[in-house]
Amino acid sequence: MAAFVQLVILGLLAGGVYVAVGVGFGLVWGVLNIVNLAHGALVIVGGYITWQLFTAFGLDPFLTLPVDAVALFVLGYALQRGVINRIIRAPLLFTFLLTFGLNLVIVNILLLIFGSDFRSVTPTYSGQGFEIGGIVVPYVRLTSLGAAILLSAGLAFLLSRTRIGLAIHAIAADRDAAQLVGIDLRHAYAVTYGLGAACAGVAGGLIAMIQAITPTAGEPYTLQAFVVVILGGLGRVSATVVGGLAFGLVEAFGQSIPGSGSVFANAIAFGLMVLVLVTRPQGLMGRLR
Amino acid sequence: MSTTAEPQLELRGVTKRFGGVGAVDGVTFQVERGEILGIIGPNGAGKTTLLNCISGVHRVDGGDIRWEGRSITGMAPHRVARLGIGRTFQIVRPFGSMTVRENAAVGALFGSSAARRGPKQAFEIADQVLELVGLKAKAGQPVSALTIPDRKRLEVARAVATRPQLLLLDEVMAGLNNVEIDEALEMVRAVHATGVTVLLIEHVMRVIVGICRRAIVLDFGHVLAEGEPEVVLRDERVIKAYLGERYAKRLRTERGQDSPS
Amino acid sequence: MIATADSQRRWRRLFLIVGAIVAAYALLAPLTSLDAAQSANVPLLADKFWFRIATYVVMFVVMATAWNIIGGITGYAAFGNVAFFGIGAYTTGMLIAKAKWPFLVALPLAPILAALFAALVGLPLLRLRGHYFAVASLGVGVAVGELVQNIDYNGQPVFGGASGLFLPIYAVGHRGLFFFYLMCGAAAIAIAVTWWVLRSRFGYGLIAIRENEEAAAVLGVNTTAYKVGAFALAAALTGLAGGIFSQWNVFINQDNAFPIEYNVQMILMALLGGTGTVFGPAAGAVLLQLLIQFLGGSLPISIDLPFVSTEARPIVAQVILGLLLVVVVIFVPRGVIDFFGGRTRLSLSYLRRSLRDTSL
Ligand SMILES: Nc1ncnc2c1ncn2[C@@H]1O[C@H](COP(=O)(O)OP(=O)(O)O)[C@@H](O)[C@H]1O
Ligand SMILES: [Mg+2]
Repeated sequence: MAAFVQLVILGLLAGGVYVAVGVGFGLVWGVLNIVNLAHGALVIVGGYITWQLFTAFGLDPFLTLPVDAVALFVLGYALQRGVINRIIRAPLLFTFLLTFGLNLVIVNILLLIFGSDFRSVTPTYSGQGFEIGGIVVPYVRLTSLGAAILLSAGLAFLLSRTRIGLAIHAIAADRDAAQLVGIDLRHAYAVTYGLGAACAGVAGGLIAMIQAITPTAGEPYTLQAFVVVILGGLGRVSATVVGGLAFGLVEAFGQSIPGSGSVFANAIAFGLMVLVLVTRPQGLMGRLR
Repeated sequence: MSTTAEPQLELRGVTKRFGGVGAVDGVTFQVERGEILGIIGPNGAGKTTLLNCISGVHRVDGGDIRWEGRSITGMAPHRVARLGIGRTFQIVRPFGSMTVRENAAVGALFGSSAARRGPKQAFEIADQVLELVGLKAKAGQPVSALTIPDRKRLEVARAVATRPQLLLLDEVMAGLNNVEIDEALEMVRAVHATGVTVLLIEHVMRVIVGICRRAIVLDFGHVLAEGEPEVVLRDERVIKAYLGERYAKRLRTERGQDSPS
Repeated sequence: MIATADSQRRWRRLFLIVGAIVAAYALLAPLTSLDAAQSANVPLLADKFWFRIATYVVMFVVMATAWNIIGGITGYAAFGNVAFFGIGAYTTGMLIAKAKWPFLVALPLAPILAALFAALVGLPLLRLRGHYFAVASLGVGVAVGELVQNIDYNGQPVFGGASGLFLPIYAVGHRGLFFFYLMCGAAAIAIAVTWWVLRSRFGYGLIAIRENEEAAAVLGVNTTAYKVGAFALAAALTGLAGGIFSQWNVFINQDNAFPIEYNVQMILMALLGGTGTVFGPAAGAVLLQLLIQFLGGSLPISIDLPFVSTEARPIVAQVILGLLLVVVVIFVPRGVIDFFGGRTRLSLSYLRRSLRDTSL
């Protein structure tokens, strides 16, 4: 029983990162109808910004998160405005390939700048934690989960309460109608992608505290973002939160299966995703688009 | 076929719901071999949904659909097509990368009892059908070069090329002007003359009166009235469904003779 | 502007002639490096190194052409086809290394197993559309690779595990030449199959599915069977390439039998050359694979990139490849075959038009 509770807690804590990775990806997919293969690369850009600020200025990694968000928002806005907007009406294969190309460019520029060494962010409190009832809860994990939930709440607020948020909703519902009521599509699209990138940046900052990063470390996160968004269901931030936590749980329980080790976690996650896609394409929480 | 007493197509209590709302709700009627049956009703009445149920595009939630006495409920669309039930789509769905001729040929390649046909014969059939619907001159053009009325013709041509015994036409005359409607009526008559039963869905009443001996009025998924078009269109419930309660009252006091169109 | 019929024909003839010369050279050049040819003083046109690159190029011709059947003709954006390559590679690999089958007996089982697997996963997967199919097929591709590497039985890795699988060297004279022509044979089969598909009832059904699946169904196309058929056919051809690869390379592991980047490369090749055509994907594969090898510095002819050290070179190559991908996707959405096939001429107005068609 204690082992079960421990697994649930570990799973939920791990889920924090997946929530952070998933929300930005889900926003871009749901609104712009783009499966953003560069998402993992953007995540890692955020990770390197946090690492750089931490090593060069000794800044607390959690304080670097807003910097990640702003920097990635600018990068994302520019990418959408300058590049992705140009093929937004092309068949889906093209957006796949375009974002894959961007991924390739970003990852390899990071390689040129930072090399392929592992980098980790280790503030004094990393590795520490507290214990309740024989279950160890690491500080970093717990705070990450909190940060991820806060990020999602902030995004949800922005989408439901602000002018630009309403414009984004209008676009998601009907692009042409949105244009007719006077929404500047190019700007709104770029803001949406920028917000997605900002979320990715924050996720990257969190990831840098939890694992050592390299420029290529983002790839699995793109794939996991898929799974998270599909598990939860496309179209709502809250659904992605559920998807992220569910993914954390699946991973924790998958790793605990005797004999499987950590290696099957991915296969289990993808198997689950395919199962969800085939049996319940609207996700656990979602409505069908 | 052998048993002439049997209707060609029979619907018994067919029901289709979208999230609790019955788009088609307990619809029952029969289609006799060789007739032209009209189905009319206001927008959202469930006409297209009904057609989707018959052709197997939608899985019905209740009721039974019988083709020549055999139940075809829940059958996959391609099997329904091979039985000899052809259909068009209200919003045309041409194969954009193909020419007009190739579009029609796909119908001939597959469709009813198509197993023996290779591409060569299929193109011959396609040419015959394009002549029938008046698209022969444009056979070699890409679909993108066609006007809206021509696209509707192509939609019909493709369905006719499957060699159906029953043809379901979904508002093929919506959006056409009077001259184009007359041409389209001519086309439907020509297809009917080749021995095909026609089930004609229309929003435009003039069309139904001009060509059908029998019509069914659908409203909120129910059959509201059934009978000769002129009679059905004078039915007060039908007028109400189309034009609203107030207009129906006024009409009752004035007692106008014209059909409301 | 659309070219006139006359200049169209001229372009097409030129394209065919150039293509035939290039193909003839590529096919015959390796022969000149045979010992016999060398001793007879026939000039040497190709060395062993070229074989290896040429075999790789042809391998991608097979994969891009195969992808075209499901992705280009049927319109289902399969993103996990590398699973079939890996399954083919491991099928022959296991049969040869563990069951001691002779290579040529083991090889036919590679496409068969890949096709069976595709049919099995295709039945549920091909009910999905658009992004969902792409993502799910990618997931299958990743999962299969992981499973193959990690499945243990009684503590022993079944498929060689992380250390991979070694095959005995195939005893045949002129091995490099043998595998080059074997791969060419696979490419010929793939292209011939595509040619047949595009002329058959099957192909018309697939294109109808691509253009509008529901309309295809109500005209009598058995969409499920056709989609699964196309998927299995693509899988069989990809698996064949994988089967040849495993014996040619003698060593297979997760990295070289299930490389995720192959998924994107084969799609890009098909797009570059022109999807839905017979020769487009092959042309795209030759073009892109040579470019990749050239940028990576593996071709004997290469230029020094300014300001780039030798260590950084492969990385810069990847950056260039990424930028190229972006440019191609934005400007040439219908593939280069559009120009060389004579349908359109490369011009500023063409580029502007393709931009306008897709941008906001
Ligand atoms: N695929 C669908 N999903 C949800 N609701 C649908 C769908 N198709 C039709 N409906 C609803 O069913 C009702 C009947 O629609 P339809 O059959 O298209 O009417 P008609 O063809 O008579 O205009 C409408 O209220 C419509 O909104
Ligand atoms: Mg309708």
